[in-house]
Amino acid sequence: MSAWEVAGILFPIFIGLVLLRVPVAFALGIACVPVFILDPKLTPFLLMNEMFKSYNAFVLLAVPFFLLAANIMNHAGITDRLIRLSRALVGHLPGGLGHINVVVSMLFAGISGSSTADAAGIGSLLIPQMKKQGFSTSFTVAITACSSVMGVIIPPSILMVVWGGLMTVSIGGLFLAGVIPGMLIATSLMLAVYVYAKIYHYPIYSRSSAKEAFFAILQAIPPLMTPLIIVGGIVAGFFTPTEASAIAVIYSLILGYVGYRSISGREIPKIFYESARFAAISLFCIGTASAFGWLLAYYKIPLAIVEFLKPFGVGPISTGLIVAGAFLFIGMFIDAIPAIIILGTVLLPLAEFAGLNPIHFAIIGVISLAFGLVTPPYGLCLLIACAIGEIKVIQALKDIAIILFPMLCVLLFVIFFPEVIMWLPRTFMPQFVG
Amino acid sequence: MRRVLDYYHRFLKLTLTIFMILLIVPVSLQIFSSYIGFIPRYIWTEEMARFCFIWIVLIGSIIAVREGTHFTVDLLPPAKTKRWEALRNLFVDFIILLIALVFLFWGHSFVASSLQQRSEMAEMPMVFIYIAWPLAGVSWILFLAENTVENIKLLWSED
Repeated sequence: MSAWEVAGILFPIFIGLVLLRVPVAFALGIACVPVFILDPKLTPFLLMNEMFKSYNAFVLLAVPFFLLAANIMNHAGITDRLIRLSRALVGHLPGGLGHINVVVSMLFAGISGSSTADAAGIGSLLIPQMKKQGFSTSFTVAITACSSVMGVIIPPSILMVVWGGLMTVSIGGLFLAGVIPGMLIATSLMLAVYVYAKIYHYPIYSRSSAKEAFFAILQAIPPLMTPLIIVGGIVAGFFTPTEASAIAVIYSLILGYVGYRSISGREIPKIFYESARFAAISLFCIGTASAFGWLLAYYKIPLAIVEFLKPFGVGPISTGLIVAGAFLFIGMFIDAIPAIIILGTVLLPLAEFAGLNPIHFAIIGVISLAFGLVTPPYGLCLLIACAIGEIKVIQALKDIAIILFPMLCVLLFVIFFPEVIMWLPRTFMPQFVG
Repeated sequence: MRRVLDYYHRFLKLTLTIFMILLIVPVSLQIFSSYIGFIPRYIWTEEMARFCFIWIVLIGSIIAVREGTHFTVDLLPPAKTKRWEALRNLFVDFIILLIALVFLFWGHSFVASSLQQRSEMAEMPMVFIYIAWPLAGVSWILFLAENTVENIKLLWSED
């Protein structure tokens, strides 16, 4: 069978079934089966074999661990402490709680690798408060959802672990490369809050005294050590990303159970169960997506796409724009992890051909997918924030679009100026970065 | 029958929690053994972690079939009547059933291929991992059957 014939079987079945509300993981799996049966050299046995091979990767263990660490932090009241710190730092700016929302998301992003934990944890604390203070509900939901996307851009990041593991890119390098784009997104969000606050006269907090600020910083130091331990440990080569994620779990357990005594022994099994269940659902998708991706690679479909695009003359910037567009589009419909497996494998040869640095390619992909977390119809963070704010998704869309605009400018900046994001990895890990 | 499935559901939840806790142990041992001299460097730890991991993924997929929490894309307008809703659900369950049947039909050779294999470090028979696929298939079918009965009842009921 030719590349185009196989693509003509895989994609229509997959898209058709997903539209009919078949879960993405099963739609991916069933789309592969006819190809496995039709080609005499293949058998559906390979579906299970490819799933097994994908789950057998040690690096993927980091996914449940980072989720677990984030959930423990939420239960341990660490989010509260970060909110107090943010209030002392930015509460006096116009639109106080809005800035607090952004800054606390940024700090939380440095501890957790998951945006959904960020939206759930921070949203449940701040959305009711913001509503009570007179912020419009749609703005409150939009800023909570949009700021939570920093969770997967600022290290540690589950998406970067998956990307690095699948496409053999240095995960430490990816982590470092995510720092500057994350900061830029935080800045663009705070700008949006400022403009909103000026137009709608949102309330502010009085400036905290030096003493209050000092204590707020002091009580937030133990949780804020987490990013230093994780990112520092990986960059310095003390431990692997999987080990770092396990350390994050142990450290958060010690903080919550021994340090703050805010988690009871009874809660722990429940937290473990919830994290495992959520991780398993997204990981199950990895298996069938890998079989799908394997078929794409087996029939050299990615190379066919490169051949197709060659006559148009693809350079690093135009490729960067294609990559961002493709991930933004697919991110609207499916979860980020299967999107990485399917589109990542499809676009990797194109990126290599166009001379895009693998880390730059990955960061463009991860940021675009992060935006997918707040774009309908399938934006998990948006769904979570809307559920907490008790409004319909459609009511938040206008504010989401307004707040996403400066964030898209950051994405364009990342595409056009790779030197800026490559600066940190080139400085600290020159041996792993081209 | 429903009671039995409820018990099975609870059993799966418990197993999932235990495997998640077990997952922490080998990875932590691995970290400590590379820094603290007197803890021997266990190499089987990585295998045990991967074993727990694979089971977590497949047990999680079973639980999500019963609870209906697998990721779906909601682009279609909501169903107008209960009957339409039931028909749609029946279609989705039918597709999942197809995958379950693939897991059972070709799972036979998949498991058979592992019978002679043992893991490299701990010499654990690999069949303990491979059997998870057909088992997931059977469990999906059990829970799908339960859903299907509900949906057919809805289909037959007056609107």
